[in-house]
Amino acid sequence: MSMKNVLAVALGILSAIGGFVDIGDLVFNTQAGATFGYQLLWVVVIGVAGIVVYSEMCGRVAAVAKRPVFDLVRERTGFSAGLATLVASQVVNLMTCAAEVGGVAICLQLLSGLPYRVLIPLAVVGLAVASWALPFEWIERVFGYLGLCLLVFAVAAIKLHPDWGRVAHGFVPGSHVGGSLSVYLYFVVGLLGAAMTPYEVYFYSSGAVEDGWGLKELGLNKVTAMIGYGLGGFLSFALMIVAGTLFLPLGIDPQFLGTPALGAEEAFGQVGLLLALVGILFAVGGAAIETCFSGAYNTAQFFGWRWGKRERPAAASRFTLAWVIIFALAFLVVMTGYDPVKLTEYSVIFSVVALPLTYLPILLIANDRTYMGSKVNGKLANVLGVLYFILILAIAVAAIPLMLITHGGQG
Amino acid sequence: MALVALLASGCGGGGKLSAKALTQKSTSLESLAAEGALLARHAGAGKTTHIFTRVHSAYLHEAASKEASSLRTATTEPALEPKLRHVTSLAGKVSADLKRVGHASKAEQPRLARELEAAAEELK
Repeated sequence: MSMKNVLAVALGILSAIGGFVDIGDLVFNTQAGATFGYQLLWVVVIGVAGIVVYSEMCGRVAAVAKRPVFDLVRERTGFSAGLATLVASQVVNLMTCAAEVGGVAICLQLLSGLPYRVLIPLAVVGLAVASWALPFEWIERVFGYLGLCLLVFAVAAIKLHPDWGRVAHGFVPGSHVGGSLSVYLYFVVGLLGAAMTPYEVYFYSSGAVEDGWGLKELGLNKVTAMIGYGLGGFLSFALMIVAGTLFLPLGIDPQFLGTPALGAEEAFGQVGLLLALVGILFAVGGAAIETCFSGAYNTAQFFGWRWGKRERPAAASRFTLAWVIIFALAFLVVMTGYDPVKLTEYSVIFSVVALPLTYLPILLIANDRTYMGSKVNGKLANVLGVLYFILILAIAVAAIPLMLITHGGQG
Repeated sequence: MALVALLASGCGGGGKLSAKALTQKSTSLESLAAEGALLARHAGAGKTTHIFTRVHSAYLHEAASKEASSLRTATTEPALEPKLRHVTSLAGKVSADLKRVGHASKAEQPRLARELEAAAEELK
């Protein structure tokens, strides 16, 4: 591999780390840490491994079959079932996009002091202009690199001197201490859902098709999925450790987007606070763009429209209109005044419910020699793929009952 | 289904509170008081910005005043009446303190932090 390629891979990994965390990770990891300390760290490991398995399969399918997720979902499941999957995914995408847009407005408010309702349209216009004007790589890099400011939480986790023995114990699944079993299980489902957000995979797979990936990109696909998402998972650990060290002993149940920033502030004062807010702003902003594009990709791929960020907007007019409409709808949802943190909790739980609908077709196609030739799943990919499908089905069934029983994790 | 779940899991207003609901309100207020205390402590130590203090304390204040309003109109079974009165009184105090955190001077913040910590302790 040439030096230029190594640099490209390194930059890709950096932006994947910075882009890993979204509002769902922020909310669920912080709340889980504040409620159960470090006891749920093992769930993050399983969730991150799950998104690695899923995105590796999607990237491989995109590279070999040259087709993205929703193109294949329609072909594999037929029009009616495919349409139902599309609608379910779009509802979740819209909820997530609205939550991320609301999160951007709250971050801007915490940085500027301007009124929230003034900042919502500014946030939407800013994100839409960035989506329109910036090339694909720049969107990924600007938001990914500035999202790396979230690494302040990793350093804060060390500076707050957690009990490392108990942190290590948190990586081993076991019976929980404190809180009810139903709340514990609700957070298990929420953390898995936050780590395995499907929009990231739709975006990744569509990007691979747009970039014209072929067989020689299969190595890059593995590296990006494993190292990028894997290291991104460390940010989730850090958020949970900070919350478990600082918020749990004080009895703080984080219900606001500004609360995690108090952890960085405790460790590093104003510098920590500003790094945390800038990191959250760009991580959440990047996720808003990704969810919006994922929605447009899904629709265009399902109906067979011309699509792509690299296409001139006039050449892919329906695709362009689709992402503009998604931003507009997200704007309307946020303007109702509904709390973005609550919306995040619902969007993560509903994304868990919709996850098997897109996971199964990809798992089947990744095993189908008609599409994949010799690049079908190997033994390990198959075992992991099937195990995760069983896990995804189980949490999809349990998600809504747990949300109702626990009143959204409140017990 | 999403809408039904959203509505079903939404929070209720005042009304007649069970022991569990009263405990949940008390826990929620304890959390708001503890978070306000942490913020005030940071503000007193110069660890945070004025803007963050003002905006974040406004969110905490809004949540606490919603709890205080719903507690003021709530009823409960006779045995829990003293607890309800106590929590309602603390809710008003926490709400007022959180409002002050947003505009207090650096010198005043440590006192507010102590008051909020004491309230959080009482709500445990």
